[in-house]
Amino acid sequence: MHTGRLTIEEIRRAIAFDQPKLNATQDGSDFIVEGQYVLVENTGSVSPAGPLTAFDIRIVTGNRYPVQEPEVFETSGRIPRSPDRHINGDGDCCVTVWEEWLTISGDTTFAAFLNGPLREFFLAQYWFEKTGKWPFGERSHGEKGLVEAFADVLGTQNKKQNVIYYLRILSQDWPKGHWLCPCGSGKLLRYCHKADLMALHSRLSPRMAKRMLKRLKSQQR
Amino acid sequence: MTIHKNKNAKTHDDVLEEIAGAIDIPPSQYEEAVSRYETLGNWLDRDQSTIAQYDPQIAPQGSFLLGTVTRPLGDDEEYDVDLICLLKVAKKDFTPKGLKETIGHEVKLYAKANNMSKRPEEGRRCWTLHYADDAQFHMDVLPCLPDAQAHQLLLERRGHAALAHDQSLSGQAIAITDWTLPQYEQLTEDWPLSNPIGYAAWFRGRMVAQLTEGKKRFAKSQMITASVDDIPDYKVKTPLQRAIQLLKRHRDSTFGDNEHKPISIIITTLSAKAYNEEPTISEALQTILSTMDQFIEYHGEEAWVLNPVNPEENFADKWAEESKKRENFFKWLEQARHDFALYLRTSPFNEMPEVLKEGLGRRTVDRTLDTILAAGAAMITAPAIAKATANDAELERAEAAITNIRESGSQSKPWAK
Repeated sequence: MHTGRLTIEEIRRAIAFDQPKLNATQDGSDFIVEGQYVLVENTGSVSPAGPLTAFDIRIVTGNRYPVQEPEVFETSGRIPRSPDRHINGDGDCCVTVWEEWLTISGDTTFAAFLNGPLREFFLAQYWFEKTGKWPFGERSHGEKGLVEAFADVLGTQNKKQNVIYYLRILSQDWPKGHWLCPCGSGKLLRYCHKADLMALHSRLSPRMAKRMLKRLKSQQR
Repeated sequence: MTIHKNKNAKTHDDVLEEIAGAIDIPPSQYEEAVSRYETLGNWLDRDQSTIAQYDPQIAPQGSFLLGTVTRPLGDDEEYDVDLICLLKVAKKDFTPKGLKETIGHEVKLYAKANNMSKRPEEGRRCWTLHYADDAQFHMDVLPCLPDAQAHQLLLERRGHAALAHDQSLSGQAIAITDWTLPQYEQLTEDWPLSNPIGYAAWFRGRMVAQLTEGKKRFAKSQMITASVDDIPDYKVKTPLQRAIQLLKRHRDSTFGDNEHKPISIIITTLSAKAYNEEPTISEALQTILSTMDQFIEYHGEEAWVLNPVNPEENFADKWAEESKKRENFFKWLEQARHDFALYLRTSPFNEMPEVLKEGLGRRTVDRTLDTILAAGAAMITAPAIAKATANDAELERAEAAITNIRESGSQSKPWAK
């Protein structure tokens, strides 16, 4: 994961050319990025016809990005406020399951966020407006969606108990060989998926595993 | 000279190419300038010339040599053609003043023999030759003598061995004169150094792949069978050269005759350092505008725009004395970034935002757009059909983007808390 504190300069550099209609300001340790997010089909070259569309947005983030998840609001009301459109009443967009992106993305800079999940979210919204379909699929609402996302990251069955057990093992600095393997075979880890698990352990830090556990817990209502 | 078979623009790059072409020196004027400086060279080398024995050579330097000339903003202003006048002599043979005046004498005779109405003007380092109004240019002739050996020795001593041993980069360094220096009238080893030919070689090296590509396309379009090496550089323009022309033009429009505007050599050097052989003007502009400031080095507080062929020279040395120059550079960069991005990222190719029109000179832009967009505008279809087609086209574009993302494998799914 990209570490070091996010600065207003990094944000400005990220939007300077790619998003000239966004404007970044600082308020204490908060950063607010506001204006029109232009949706282009390619991140590199330009289309003769210009951008596909633009969404009015406000991003609120802080210098603890990317540990801290940025909040994204759609401000014009263009997207109907409904969980089925992945947006809350106040325009708060559920862009993606943050921990999933942090874990699978090699680049978690602010620029990568703008060109990755944020672009995919608004491209998906645009596609839904036109066709009523989600081009990249969608997560279930609430806890169920979290479990799905985490199960995808772990490459395991989409079952809550299973995901929790897996995350508990990964949240330890040194997973023990005499624990039961999370694959459900009933065998000891050392005789089962030890190599796979250790490979995952090196990609997904104990800290991240704890964070994911906590997230699951806070989602239980 | 670029040949346009089809004047009908279809992309942002077509539009930018046409505008850059419109602010470039026209081929006829380019050839006129070359013919005039060749005439001057012949004059200096004629039998009766007092300097013929020193084998005088006239050669272009600066934007004229780099292929980054931009038309002056006002109609009454002139192109500025920079030349060096090299005598094969040594520092012990002349004082700087002696060299300047020896050449000046012949330059004045030339002006007289050609009935030029204005006398050559003496500047700090150059002689300026003014041609009749219809020529629309003047020539700055820089008196100099070869100084490569001393320069290479110095480079070597200061730890720049690679540069010292590269003949193309350091083998044509010259010593120039400057009448503000105390040793101007003395026999001295201490002359200011310059290296315009080495700089041009470096600059060419930054775009050589696109230069070769351009020449191949040129040969094809002209049905020439000659090899790429036989086509002179000035026949084609690379995306780097076009981008620099547009940026210099934007600088001129932004600052007018403000004496503290960013200087061309800084824009040119940082652009060439940032450029990565992008094949189009729009991509070149994006790379240059996004990253050019990262090539400014900081020695403590002091900003350095390093001369790539003379690491002792800071093109931004005046920034320390005059903070406005430094401020203006960064102000301009931010403005240029914004103006070009607004066009390239948020506009269709045939709608140039007002700020960029302003930045590139409204008259030039309007005239150019009129020519290249006229053909397209004549073909507008009935509104209802146009709308349906546009909608399909948008869907197709969105679908292509979706496929791209799916293929990259890193798509994220929306969720609901």
